[in-house]
Amino acid sequence: MNPSSHLLRTRPSARRLWLWGLLLAPFLLLGLLGACVASCFRLSADARAVRNELIKSSGAEWRQQIALNAGWLTLGAVRAGLSCVRLDPAARAALQSIHGAGVGIYQLPAGTPPPNRAAMLVAADSAMTARGWERVVGVIDARDLVAVYFPKKVPMHRLKCCVLVFDGKEMVLVSAQGNPEPLLEYALAQPGLGDRTGRLARR
Amino acid sequence: MKTVIPYPLAVAALTAGLAFNVLAGLSPGQVDFGKFTPPGDGGQFVEVQIKSNLLSLAAQLIEKQQPDVAKLLRSVQLVHVNVVGLTDENRAEVTQRVRQIQQDLAPQGWEQTVTVQDKNGPDVGIYIKTRGEQALAGLVITVIEPKGQAVLVNIVGDIRPEQVAILGEKLDLKPLKDVGAALKDAVPGK
Repeated sequence: MNPSSHLLRTRPSARRLWLWGLLLAPFLLLGLLGACVASCFRLSADARAVRNELIKSSGAEWRQQIALNAGWLTLGAVRAGLSCVRLDPAARAALQSIHGAGVGIYQLPAGTPPPNRAAMLVAADSAMTARGWERVVGVIDARDLVAVYFPKKVPMHRLKCCVLVFDGKEMVLVSAQGNPEPLLEYALAQPGLGDRTGRLARR
Repeated sequence: MKTVIPYPLAVAALTAGLAFNVLAGLSPGQVDFGKFTPPGDGGQFVEVQIKSNLLSLAAQLIEKQQPDVAKLLRSVQLVHVNVVGLTDENRAEVTQRVRQIQQDLAPQGWEQTVTVQDKNGPDVGIYIKTRGEQALAGLVITVIEPKGQAVLVNIVGDIRPEQVAILGEKLDLKPLKDVGAALKDAVPGK
């Protein structure tokens, strides 16, 4: 077989591929950008799962106030953008620690009787346990409900956490992922930490 | 070749396996308080359960700055706290459950070191399980405040009394210093 004839045969198809690639690239980029923007208004899968269970168990209709999510790409861009800016050390430590975060705020319509918080806690527990999380803190007091979840396997540099707070009217769901080391180093380096923890303990 | 496991043998093996798992799941210093239901009418309910995975993570994080505290955190396997507000509906049931837990501790090798019982005041009990002569395998604190709440605390791990005292000193936490001092006196051989 003549190799030059083979080249002649493949060249036009390769060119066609490039052409298609160039034509499709803007659409792909637009799609990717759209997906990125859409993901900013969508909670993480774990937070969505617990939110759905909470809403179902409460038996009430909730109004979504806000649902924001910033993944590693967004926060990485923010970190890179702010790397040359003079920032407060606490803010910089927080920025270095958080690699992903999401927050959802949901409200009960006025006049809705407060749902059973014990049932909500049980529902949240079952949703999170099924996804490999466990509740570390659970508090029900007066009208408030607070729950803190961590994954059963906790890798040091990719720590995940999910916090639920409900005050009888408004429910806030926060999920975060990151490496707590920079923030903790900053906190422990603060003078008088012992005095302050002592004062808190004596309260 | 077809292998048939006799049904009674399979059931026995499964039961033994499950029983072994249950026994293996609890450390010597761990006490299963069971599940407490939050009071229905807005009563207080707190449950904190920090296991060794999070404790060792915390120890890793503060290793450089506070090695003593990190050492203590590494030696603790579990911190479990239950606070249940007592209401007219649940007072009898919760009090009965806490009393039952207190009664079950002695046959399991727990030693009651502190008892405070007042007719109208709180009923406080501190129980320890020793590991060897100088360390604790676990610590249980029970408090019943008839007009307030029931509190159950279980700390599990290879706890050295002097480590608790060091933690109290480092963080300037008076209650922790007191517990550390009490533990030093309570553990035989110290």
